[in-house]
Amino acid sequence: MSLRTLVLAIALLAPVPALAQGVLVAPTAVFIDSRSRAGSLLLVNPNDDPAEVDMSALFGYPVTDSLGQTQLFTAEQPDSAEPSAAGWIKIFPRRMTLAPKGQQTVRVLVSPPPTAADGEYWTRLVIVARGGKLPVTVVDSANTAGLSVGLTMEVRTIIPLFFRKGKAEAGLAVSALRANRAADSLLVRARLERTGNAAALGTARGEMVDSTGKVRATFNMPVAVYHAIEPRFSIAAANLPPGRYRLRFEVAAARQDLPAESVLPFRAVRDSVSLTLP
Amino acid sequence: MRCTTYLVAALFLGAGAGPLAAQGGRRIRVQGVQTLSFGNLLPGVPGVVGRTDPARSGRFDIVAPSNGQILVQFTLPNRLDGPAGAGIPLTFGGGDAGFSADQSIGGQIGFDPRVGFTAATGRRRRSAVFLGGRAQPSAGQRAGSYTAVVTLTVANVL
Repeated sequence: MSLRTLVLAIALLAPVPALAQGVLVAPTAVFIDSRSRAGSLLLVNPNDDPAEVDMSALFGYPVTDSLGQTQLFTAEQPDSAEPSAAGWIKIFPRRMTLAPKGQQTVRVLVSPPPTAADGEYWTRLVIVARGGKLPVTVVDSANTAGLSVGLTMEVRTIIPLFFRKGKAEAGLAVSALRANRAADSLLVRARLERTGNAAALGTARGEMVDSTGKVRATFNMPVAVYHAIEPRFSIAAANLPPGRYRLRFEVAAARQDLPAESVLPFRAVRDSVSLTLP
Repeated sequence: MRCTTYLVAALFLGAGAGPLAAQGGRRIRVQGVQTLSFGNLLPGVPGVVGRTDPARSGRFDIVAPSNGQILVQFTLPNRLDGPAGAGIPLTFGGGDAGFSADQSIGGQIGFDPRVGFTAATGRRRRSAVFLGGRAQPSAGQRAGSYTAVVTLTVANVL
């Protein structure tokens, strides 16, 4: 092994730090009403290197797949029936270079057409932060001296924007509550369907009650229902003894990760089902 | 008309902004901590990095609001582009990404980096995502610089 190769090998044993990727975004959701038609967010570069940032708007909302796992549906050209606000958004500034430890307030202006009906309209704000090119690997051998390999790292942060015009109301219906045991867990699923003209932002709670009325296990998960979803919830069931149980399920308009004034109220929905655990 | 537009824009931009503290801790931050490193590659010899490799796996730290949900997903290149159209193939398997709710490299839940993973943030606000992969230089790999872009998307699922 040559001295040069030895030095390279030693150098490559150390972790390779990443440079200037990612910015801090606050808040994590933007709510704008038709009176102000404007909102803002703050971008902060906590790094020691400049960060190049691009912003855009993209229509999208969370959905669930056949297994109940959450995915983010997005569409460059959403169906005309979708309540998209993506085409109404103006962002100032759209592109910026954030100095090390610097910050920038970004303004968002919504310009809906006058014919837009009352209700809630949705889009996603996409914040792309780029760092420099990173030397991650150097290939060196007797045959190929001078090869270098580098990765450019990008971070995309996506947050929702809700625009509410006039009377925006949330409502929810629950159906098809069921549960299956899988290994040491109980997998709970239910169909949740929006009934208002705004997304239902809430928290799903479930509890397993045994035949004596004692609550033996619970779960607590945030949900966001834009159209209809069938999410999957998991309850740790390893310590649940065999027997008959009642699964109680509820979704209420409360979110611990959002300001209370941003969550539209709706009547809590409940359902329950009997289960026998072998 | 143009003057009016500029005036409106100036007034709009000049309005006061709420300080960071006013966001009540509701912020999201994704930070590259360590990039994926294939070490000392040799022509014709694949470089394989596991997501649990503490020195060479890629790592991103995430700070998100507690009691929420985030979706993490990678957009990955299938090769490193080099001189005169040369390339080094890159492959990522279905378990080459991992999510750790407590940022420990040993506490990962594996996932397919291209499909993504939805995580409940629970009471903890800090989590981490790890990435492994495989690079396959050919025996006669052309000399020069090879580059590619790795993108991590973190979406607030709300």
